Amino acid sequence: MNFRETVTGSDLTREWKAFEARAKALPDGHRAAWEQIKANLFLYGDFTGRNLLPILDGALGLLEESVADGQGVHEVLGDDIPGFCAALVGGKGARTHRDRWREQLNGNVARKLSRLGG
Amino acid sequence: MDDLTEMLKGTLEGCVLEIIAGEETYGYAITRRLNELGFADVVEGTVYTILLRLERNGLVQVTKRPSGVGPPRKFYALNDAGREELARFWAKWQYVSSRIDKLKEGGG
Repeated sequence: MNFRETVTGSDLTREWKAFEARAKALPDGHRAAWEQIKANLFLYGDFTGRNLLPILDGALGLLEESVADGQGVHEVLGDDIPGFCAALVGGKGARTHRDRWREQLNGNVARKLSRLGG
Repeated sequence: MDDLTEMLKGTLEGCVLEIIAGEETYGYAITRRLNELGFADVVEGTVYTILLRLERNGLVQVTKRPSGVGPPRKFYALNDAGREELARFWAKWQYVSSRIDKLKEGGG
């Protein structure tokens, strides 16, 4: 990734296009699941969403493999797509917006307290 | 048996390690094996997230192999750290199951 790509995110656009091209080849049910996975994973994205790329790549790969095995979406993901997505990012140190807000809040409170001489 | 998944959650990782210890295998086959054992509501997505965790924790060796149809498959084999983890899992399982049996028999 060169500097221009880092700043403009043009590499991301390219990867996104590649994902969407692969997703297009999926049957309807699997493609619907892909949309849900994306929607759920966005919650865990960092500012650019770059941290999600390997995770999305893996999830898409799983869908592709399951198509090749002739499995339906329900056999692959069950009823709990949000849970699946949480497990996908879990423990990977995927930093979420919520984590950052919490950290910011903690930092602000600590600073104010120290100013008060607490 | 329905609703086993909640109870299984803590042990599923050990089950997957044990299956991989038998022979190098891939996600779909592991899921099928668990289903055959009677864990009917385990789906491939669940196994996939466990495999990711095992990979992240350095317990498995992963090899990509072309499959007859579709994209290449990831095959998983245990490494030394994985075998140690599996031994720890069985020790813990032994402890838990012996305590619970004792409780059931009224020994306390």
